[in-house]
Amino acid sequence: MKTELKGGKAFSYIDIQLEPGEQIMTESDAMSSMDAALELKAEFNGGLFKGLLRKFLGGESLFLSRFSNPTSTPKNLIITQGTPGEIRCIELDNETFYFQPGAFIACEETVTLGLKWAGFVSWIAREGMFKLSVTGHGKVWFGAYGALIDKEIDGEYIVDTSHLVSYGPDIQLKLQLAGGLFSSFFGGEGLVTRLEGKGKVVLQTRSLSGLASWLNPKL
Amino acid sequence: MTQLYYISITGKLLNNVEMDQAVENFARRFKLPLEKAQQMIQKAPVILKKGLDEDSALKYQQASKSVGLDCQISKEASQASNSSESLTTSQIISDGKALGEQHDSNQCPKSMPEHQFRYAGKPDYGFVTIDLPANDTIKVEASSMATMDTNIRMKTKLKGGLGRFITGESLFINEFTAENGPGEIGIAPATPGDITHQYLNGNTLFLQNSAFVACSMGVNTETKWQGFTKGFFSGENFFLIKCSGQGDLWFNTYGALIEIDIEDEYVVDTGNIVAFSEGLDYQITKVGGYKSLFFSGEGFVCRFKGRGKLWMQTRGTDAFVNWCQSFRRVESSS
Amino acid sequence: MNIEFLHAPANTVAKVSLKPGEICTAEAGAMMAMSGNTQITTTTYKKSGRGILKGLKRMLAGESFFVNHFEAKNKEAELWLGAAISGDMMQYQLDNESLIVQGSSFLACEHQVEIDLGWQGFKSLLSGESIFWLNLKGSGKVIINAFGAIYPIEVDGEYIVDSGHIVAFNESLNFSITKAGSSWIQSILGGEGLVCKFNGQGTVWCQSHNPSSFGNHLTPELKPIKK
Repeated sequence: MKTELKGGKAFSYIDIQLEPGEQIMTESDAMSSMDAALELKAEFNGGLFKGLLRKFLGGESLFLSRFSNPTSTPKNLIITQGTPGEIRCIELDNETFYFQPGAFIACEETVTLGLKWAGFVSWIAREGMFKLSVTGHGKVWFGAYGALIDKEIDGEYIVDTSHLVSYGPDIQLKLQLAGGLFSSFFGGEGLVTRLEGKGKVVLQTRSLSGLASWLNPKL
Repeated sequence: MTQLYYISITGKLLNNVEMDQAVENFARRFKLPLEKAQQMIQKAPVILKKGLDEDSALKYQQASKSVGLDCQISKEASQASNSSESLTTSQIISDGKALGEQHDSNQCPKSMPEHQFRYAGKPDYGFVTIDLPANDTIKVEASSMATMDTNIRMKTKLKGGLGRFITGESLFINEFTAENGPGEIGIAPATPGDITHQYLNGNTLFLQNSAFVACSMGVNTETKWQGFTKGFFSGENFFLIKCSGQGDLWFNTYGALIEIDIEDEYVVDTGNIVAFSEGLDYQITKVGGYKSLFFSGEGFVCRFKGRGKLWMQTRGTDAFVNWCQSFRRVESSS
Repeated sequence: MNIEFLHAPANTVAKVSLKPGEICTAEAGAMMAMSGNTQITTTTYKKSGRGILKGLKRMLAGESFFVNHFEAKNKEAELWLGAAISGDMMQYQLDNESLIVQGSSFLACEHQVEIDLGWQGFKSLLSGESIFWLNLKGSGKVIINAFGAIYPIEVDGEYIVDSGHIVAFNESLNFSITKAGSSWIQSILGGEGLVCKFNGQGTVWCQSHNPSSFGNHLTPELKPIKK
């Protein structure tokens, strides 16, 4: 499989050449264009029950799409995400990462997707009750609205909840008020997430809720 | 190696300024707690800042003179070229010297900013991380904070102004203070686009009301009403924020940022104006005749005359707002 | 007419340089800024897709499509054009041919290019995207904008494009609405639904992102309309 990230940071998309017999798993509706000879199969996102949980409580889609190449020549496939923004690819080497709902885009078939209970904190913070975990070997593509920033946490750090994309397994999420009671609600920050632990965190520089709250008074 | 200077306050007050007033101004300008400011003046002569080059020393002199304190610039004997040294030795003043770091396509700010900061995600989803020295405060647009160190405290102030409220911007502005040590704060504007910085040194900048991101305490922001006919019908809710004073100002654009040096005359769609310098004459007119007004889609434009700098954004708010109308859920009230 | 693109692909603007007497035809609302000596005339082209004022509601034929004509008077003029939904832009030189363009992707063209509506409108309604297609005919430069980055696909055989991702294509290509993959159920469950299959020889220009997907992501956050 030859993959290339194109489109710059603003409108990242993945240009994939699937070799004969190869497969790739993507979230629903991720396909932008593809060679007509490729096969598409929809699968439940981790089985029917988990899939339903994922959809209603995790913000993920019910189905995953599996694209495969039944022909004998490499075929082209373009995958994108619903919102404009940056896409990144990480190569897992028998490790685990957690993603916020909506961040997952695609992965190689050797990667296992799991659903983990994220705790009530996460649910109150409107990040969903479940978090998506990716484990195993292989490439995972994820993205968000906005550009992506890497950060190494060692100790504690505060992140506005809608700006968190993914975090390493050794990091805990806690909730706190941004300021005093008055500030938190009028200052527009509300509840923020306190990250505690050690590891890598990926942040997004824009948020859909931020954009919507800017738009709403104008509508 | 350049000659370095240190600046000290002599303890004398200038211009018939009262001691109380001077202490207050000094505390505010140099971001010190009141007692500390008072202590310093009483203990004078005392060194304000060391390790400055000529320009910075003059700036400090100007600053302290403006708060009514007499001061003196002296040459340093040893060549201490690292400003961070003076930072640790003087536990007093916020860092006045650093330049933003180079980051990808980001440019170095042209004038010396008060704060150290770095950009990310430029130019499409600009994001800025500002380093706040201990006890320093910064004003930030409501809801824009994305990340921050745990020792930063937030206070919400009703500073948005009625004008902004009418146009749907926030009435509130948050003040973030780094307590018990330095801290960093990451700011993300709501709209996709670029973010940029200007250091105001006594000059004035007019900012479109939704473009404001953050500023240091020395910058005053006033909402200017453009007059009934000039502003009200423009459809872009043409309220401007007048920024003046001394300090850092960060503003964002909706879309990409284009800087234009105006020499003569230029016409810009009101929705695309981000900021412009003082000294430009502007007039809001319709494009073409009334038919053009309603059908051309251009609506109102702003005709600038004179010499100055204009910052333009490549997207217009109205157009995007109209587009997303079709995606709103329809709720039937029953 | 000289066209320069800046800030691609995210917030592309077209900087058009007009020689005295040259006229640029642009969609209503596209002008961002222009030099003082440019004259604007507004005309309507009947029976065509959209105007910025109406947003993206695609109306059936009978709507007017307003365009502005910018003329440089006396000396050279500079015209900055931007799109409502920002993204990449491209220019195409028509050489006595036809280019089918998605209605909202048309930005501007040289004065002599003909803009026509309604090519295979019925089919596009079926595709669920309710897009209007414009047929740009003749010779001259054309500026196309898109939501996302624009990438060309050289079709030689068959190629499938998700309908929300089509920007423009050569008239020489045939297209049909079909399913993605070999089964209807799979196509619908896979979220793709109906897609466009192009066959023949020619180029399809696609956009990397789908405005409807983005809009749908925003829907839960937006203030609902109370009726």
